[in-house]
Amino acid sequence: MKRIFGLLGLGAMALTLQGAVASFLPARFCPDLGFLLVVALGLCWRSAVGGVCVAGAIGYTSDLLSGSLLGQHALLRLTAYAVARFGNRHLNLRGALPQAIFVAVLTCANAFAMALLTSFFSPGTGVGMAAVRELLPQAVANALFAPLVASGTARIVARLGDEDGGQRLLPLTPRGRIA
Amino acid sequence: MGEFRSRIAFSLLIAALVAVATISMVVDRRARLTGGSLLPGWTRVVLDAAVPLQKMVALPFDVARDAWTRYVALIDVADQNQTLRSQLAELREDNLQLREALVASGRLERIAEMRDDFDVPMRPAELVGVDVSPWFRSVLLDRGQTDGVLSGMPVISEDGLVGLVTATSSRAAKSMTVLDRQSAVDATVQRSRSRGIVRGRGSEGIVFEFVARGADVAVGDLVITSGLGGVYPKGLRIGRVTAVSDPGAKLVQTASLEPAVDFGRLEQVFVILRRGPTMDLLYRAEDGDAAPARPGS
Repeated sequence: MKRIFGLLGLGAMALTLQGAVASFLPARFCPDLGFLLVVALGLCWRSAVGGVCVAGAIGYTSDLLSGSLLGQHALLRLTAYAVARFGNRHLNLRGALPQAIFVAVLTCANAFAMALLTSFFSPGTGVGMAAVRELLPQAVANALFAPLVASGTARIVARLGDEDGGQRLLPLTPRGRIA
Repeated sequence: MGEFRSRIAFSLLIAALVAVATISMVVDRRARLTGGSLLPGWTRVVLDAAVPLQKMVALPFDVARDAWTRYVALIDVADQNQTLRSQLAELREDNLQLREALVASGRLERIAEMRDDFDVPMRPAELVGVDVSPWFRSVLLDRGQTDGVLSGMPVISEDGLVGLVTATSSRAAKSMTVLDRQSAVDATVQRSRSRGIVRGRGSEGIVFEFVARGADVAVGDLVITSGLGGVYPKGLRIGRVTAVSDPGAKLVQTASLEPAVDFGRLEQVFVILRRGPTMDLLYRAEDGDAAPARPGS
């Protein structure tokens, strides 16, 4: 519980900081800190249930502080967390470069999913080609900050008491009996 | 067996949260279309808590920006001052002449009476944060229901139209700006009275759409609210035409606008404490728990 509350506080701080920084920087150059934190949790925190809860809470809070429909960011953050966790199990995402590339691709997928959801619920107001052009600087900004956020989150997770924090999730369970 | 159980529990948890998020979206969309309270009770607490937090975090940025604008970026101020003084003198002269003309025609008194009729109370509010998502263009204001701010009230600045309050808590309000892709404002060209709809295009600014083919719209024209949608009062500045597209074979034409409000530097806004008839109908259900009396109604 201590870890969940700690990470929820971290999520609140990330969203608050983002809201403040976005007042001074153009939105497309501003890293999506809530998204990066959720991805970082998928990469470094072993507790799946805790990760899902924190990702959902960050997403729902994002919805409250944004013009989106309630639940829109929550759904996408949950998906981003699940993809990050899946990616961490099947890909080598230990270095800064793999993490940056992974986050850039995930940012694009997230944006297209957002566009689809917006078009579905509010026809005619979806994210058009102009927004897709904005996607590139957004993906680059997220990719640049991803390794920093991931390493910072791993340290915080470790400090909050998770002894496996920062470690890659390798399925170490033996499949057969060793002779 | 234990691992199997935990996987099942994890899958169920994910499915439940996804279902909750989907239902929330459907309910919120329905609420936006049909009116009623947008935010559940406990979420208003989150919105209230966000305002002091945002202010605290933004403080160093504000100090840095103030230092820059007040002390560093003052190189051309003397020249600007001189230009503005000469402009002011010209405008004073124009103003005197216009007043004389109005007095001569007996319209000044009638205009004074009209202004009393349309005197709208406003509440100043500070912008404490912008949208945390790059795909939307909402802003967070530090005034809420206790200050008389309700959903559906227009938000303006000294330069023109900013947007519309979409959700409120007791001490905070969320406002969708005209830049948001979900925003649509019934507008008219001030010079030619040609009508159309101003829609938000995110970082690309705003566009003036559905203007009848052949309507008189030219670069430099000022576009203002028409007041016909029943959402915004008439005559608020929205933006200036920067380009008019060739309609080709279409029946309508589109123009690009430069917003009257510089959203990058927006700090102080005013909430008009009176809703248009459409918004009043839409959000009447919300007033039940909001309680403050609507001035002017």
